[in-house]
Amino acid sequence: MHALIIDDSRTMRAIIARIVKELGFETSEAENGQEALDLLEDGLVPDICLIDWNMPLMDGYTFVTRVRQDPKWRNVTLMMVTTESEHSQIVRALAAGAHEYLIKPFTPDSIVEKLELLGLAAQEIPA
Amino acid sequence: MTVVAEPALGDLHTVVEEVWSTFLADGNPILPADGPSEDVHWTAAITVTGAWEAQISVVLSEAAATGVGATMLAIDEATCSTADVRDALGELVNIVGGNVKSLMPGPSVLSLPLVGHGDIAPTSDLQPVRRLDLLWRGEPVVVVVHVPVQDSSTTATTT
Repeated sequence: MHALIIDDSRTMRAIIARIVKELGFETSEAENGQEALDLLEDGLVPDICLIDWNMPLMDGYTFVTRVRQDPKWRNVTLMMVTTESEHSQIVRALAAGAHEYLIKPFTPDSIVEKLELLGLAAQEIPA
Repeated sequence: MTVVAEPALGDLHTVVEEVWSTFLADGNPILPADGPSEDVHWTAAITVTGAWEAQISVVLSEAAATGVGATMLAIDEATCSTADVRDALGELVNIVGGNVKSLMPGPSVLSLPLVGHGDIAPTSDLQPVRRLDLLWRGEPVVVVVHVPVQDSSTTATTT
């Protein structure tokens, strides 16, 4: 399993990477939506993208929209991981093609729960 | 219409405690301080615009800021660089600000965070309406919410 972590914060990318690596994922990272799109265009095929909303250059919502417009990426699972918690924003992201939505702050268990819902949880995080 | 409103102090405290217990759980809880601290070494601020307008700031001592950076990045404090602290504080205020925003009238949007070594003065049309003086590892952490100076707009307080 491969997770592409898209967040302008190196700290948040590191936190998410620690959690999903414990679950057996390999990870790649991008600082914004454009960098993530470039990785996909270059041939990266992640099982899931974990996407922040507010980022410079290209935000997470635009990234989701762009990925969903291209059929070659239709099998990539998209999950927003963001502080944007207004109902209208959640609806907007899901309507654009995000499969799941996780609000910061999150626990490792909440990521596991979301990945299980998406059929992507390989293993439990060791105690 | 922009509503001049302020989060309840208890709600603000709950948000900060939740963020700390999730990403900064090192066995040291974040606790109320006895009084205000002037130990300002780092400030991280984020702006909310839209139906609710505000600036939310987290102000920390050097030791607290380094502790936040090292804990969030899971690195040794001795190797925690200024860039590490800056990045971690930006994410910290992003999460605190986003969760405070969720308590207030919407729709509103968050800016990207601004982090500085020292004070970040809010614009002159903002005034502080909520302040939490806290201690983490015995070091000061202050959370401040500024909102526009009240004029003829609607005023509300969440409870």
